[in-house]
Amino acid sequence: MPEVFTYRNAPPSRIAPEGALAGLRVTVQPNLAVRGWLCEAGSRALSGYTALQDATVVARLVQAGAVLNGSSRMAELGFGLAGDTSVRTIVDGHADVALITDTMGEVRLAAAGAGLFGLKPTYSLVSRHGLAGLVPSMESIGLAAADPGRIAETLAVMAGADPDDPSMPDDCTAGFSAALPSGTGSLTAGIIEESLSSLDPDERLAFDASVARLGVAGLAIQTLNLADYGFFQDVHHVIAAVEASSSAGKFDGVRYGHRSTAGKNWNEMYLNTRAESFGPLIKPFLFQGAYFQFERYPAFENACRLRGRLLGAVDDLLGQVDLIVLPTRRPASDAMRAATIEATYAAFALTLPASVTGHPVLQVPNPGLAADQDTGLQLIGRRLDDGRLLAIGQHLSSAARGGTLI
Amino acid sequence: MKYEAVIGLEIHVQLNAATKLFCDCPNRPGDAPNRNVCPVCLWLPGALPRLSQESLEKAVLACLALNCTIQNESAFDQKVYYYPDLPKGYQLSQHHKPLARNGWVDIVGADGGLKRLRIHHIHLEEDVAKLVHETEGRTPISLVDFNRAGTPLIEIVSEPDMRTPHDAMEYVKALRAQLRYTGSAECSLEQGTLRVDANISLRPAGTEALNTKVEVKNMNSIHNVGDAIAYEIVRQTECLEKGEPIVLHTRLWDPERRVTAPMRAKFEGPCVPDPSVAPIVLTDAWLDAIRGRLPEMPARKSARFMETYGLTPDEAAAMSAERDLSEFFESVVARDLPPRKTAGWIASQLIPALRERNQAVGQTHLTAERFASLLGALEKEIVNTQSAREILVRLLDSPAALEEIIQNGGFRQLSETGDLETLIDRVLAAHPADVADYRSGNPKVLGFLMGQAMKASQGKANPKVLKALLAQRLG
Repeated sequence: MPEVFTYRNAPPSRIAPEGALAGLRVTVQPNLAVRGWLCEAGSRALSGYTALQDATVVARLVQAGAVLNGSSRMAELGFGLAGDTSVRTIVDGHADVALITDTMGEVRLAAAGAGLFGLKPTYSLVSRHGLAGLVPSMESIGLAAADPGRIAETLAVMAGADPDDPSMPDDCTAGFSAALPSGTGSLTAGIIEESLSSLDPDERLAFDASVARLGVAGLAIQTLNLADYGFFQDVHHVIAAVEASSSAGKFDGVRYGHRSTAGKNWNEMYLNTRAESFGPLIKPFLFQGAYFQFERYPAFENACRLRGRLLGAVDDLLGQVDLIVLPTRRPASDAMRAATIEATYAAFALTLPASVTGHPVLQVPNPGLAADQDTGLQLIGRRLDDGRLLAIGQHLSSAARGGTLI
Repeated sequence: MKYEAVIGLEIHVQLNAATKLFCDCPNRPGDAPNRNVCPVCLWLPGALPRLSQESLEKAVLACLALNCTIQNESAFDQKVYYYPDLPKGYQLSQHHKPLARNGWVDIVGADGGLKRLRIHHIHLEEDVAKLVHETEGRTPISLVDFNRAGTPLIEIVSEPDMRTPHDAMEYVKALRAQLRYTGSAECSLEQGTLRVDANISLRPAGTEALNTKVEVKNMNSIHNVGDAIAYEIVRQTECLEKGEPIVLHTRLWDPERRVTAPMRAKFEGPCVPDPSVAPIVLTDAWLDAIRGRLPEMPARKSARFMETYGLTPDEAAAMSAERDLSEFFESVVARDLPPRKTAGWIASQLIPALRERNQAVGQTHLTAERFASLLGALEKEIVNTQSAREILVRLLDSPAALEEIIQNGGFRQLSETGDLETLIDRVLAAHPADVADYRSGNPKVLGFLMGQAMKASQGKANPKVLKALLAQRLG
């Protein structure tokens, strides 16, 4: 068992005991800049790179009294979860909240594997400044915790306008309130029928058991159809690979990170550095992106058009129901061990839709099931409906602990 | 066969905004290497671009001055290629949705007629870093200076409307005059703040085909633009006559040898929409506000100068060609000086003097007020024309007052009849034979005697009075 942390912070030197998050222990992935900490994002491309300034969310958390206790291990450049130890820091009792960048479902799948809640906030609700990211149009800094209330409090500190991230749209600048909306009784949840075809009978039983908890909480359940559901994976794959290829273009050994010592001149240094910088999972993914950029650009344009269509279709469904419900995973496929692009996409098949559309999504565990049975439940809400999802999560959580129903 | 050239120009112009395009670093590429850099323009992990409002405004002004239609929505793309001068493996540029489309400038064609040359589009983009390769010595060293990385450029892409080197040179001049007027850019080919890439292809005269083009770069003056295109037309004509195919590639103009030489196969990287820079959405109200800042442009100003000041078309064009001199001209005329005489002095004396110094008028000690007082002294015959030329040089180079320069330089004109008569006596006494010649009916000798008298006065005699007195004495 490798060490859980890549960097273990000394007892906090920066304390704000009066803050909203006083004493909250937070683990970050090493793709999030904390001044003076190594920020290698799990890649040789960034070996030895130390962050010069705090990411916006890091500065806000510290300001609010949170204690950053270290950075976890992560998959190279945040593509998937191979080798990721973020949620272990919670399970082992080192942390209350783990920040996990969600590009294809990482925070949701990691949380599902550990029986935790995991929120991918509405795209752009949280500043990306200081995130050494891979897929800028999809990634959100996600939050995993045992308690959805903790997620809400932490998100309230992290969200909101940031002059260093001008890509945030105007409707995200107001931020997020930790005071969650009350009442879940009159809500309607829709299940996309096409999403269930991949589940085997045991998985279907587990999913149905989790959906039943929503019914107990008073939500009306109905079935929906999304004819284009099958496109989510290809659309994600093509667009994410293209953006990843662009994002990784900056790793050339000229200014920071790994630099090859082989080669007789600048050109060979440049080529060798790029050849040596990437591992066996991410490298073919970057090649795939470059292939679509250079050789199959019309296919990329088609993927972008399809993405718009999928977004419209999901928005239409969210006009009929208050939230969409999907299973989070097939318990047998282990994202932590996925060693190929195909295995990675197979493990994340159920979490790709919300990454493609940018809607907020909360992974809800079912404490009544064993970890190797629970498919998890994804609650996908309308844009900026993060609070409602967390309110439902909190309701289910307190019900499971024997609390009173609202 | 007779061939016709089809020429299109892609012109990069550095905007003179205070900062780079996506960060607050100073837009001063010439500073000590790597002084003007930050996490954004070095593209450290986690940095995000922040579009400069000033660059956007200056770019829009430039587009308006070139008669373009500003697009209500434009957006940045990633132009992907891998090179150490490009900190992120792509250049942020506007490929799919440029800032402006469909502009034009007017030139005077070689036949003397007005010719309108169209602009296809103008887009914003960032410049790249500067590479220095030292290949001498045992270990080659390559250095990168990121001061220029991320500085703001506009690229102006013409339609292939030009047919001759003359057209291309006039296009660059017209475009430069318009852009300088807006105050958005310096536009110096010599200093690289305006860079011309020429695309040239040939076709049989009278046909409409667009054939394979060759790109030529590295022309650092307007004359070099003309010469490089002329050379390339000859080179391609010879290729076609020998039956060699024209291949798409890039050539560099060699200003020493005055030839173009092949550089590389032309590489066109893909352009992918950038997800991190928000689209530029311009409202009509915002555009109107920018349009309101557009100064009176040269063509309109020239017409006004003819109407208001009675200048000839040539004089009006000369007085309106550069914004600073046009404003200088009006400021001098506003001090009650005759407009045509003022224009004449600016065109024949001031502009050549400035060119010799390689200075703009604002960089000298000459102000409109000082220039007006000099012309006033000339009008009032306090100094003569010859002295005035010498005084102008001193007004440019020193802060001394006009009175002081006239006094100390002994420039005051001799107009006193008594003084001049004494002088004439001396000259006539020294040249008895010429006097006799004149009196025997050769009027040409008067000019010689005038010259001698003027020389005797050390150039200070009032020529009108002198001539009258001399004619009277020779009677």
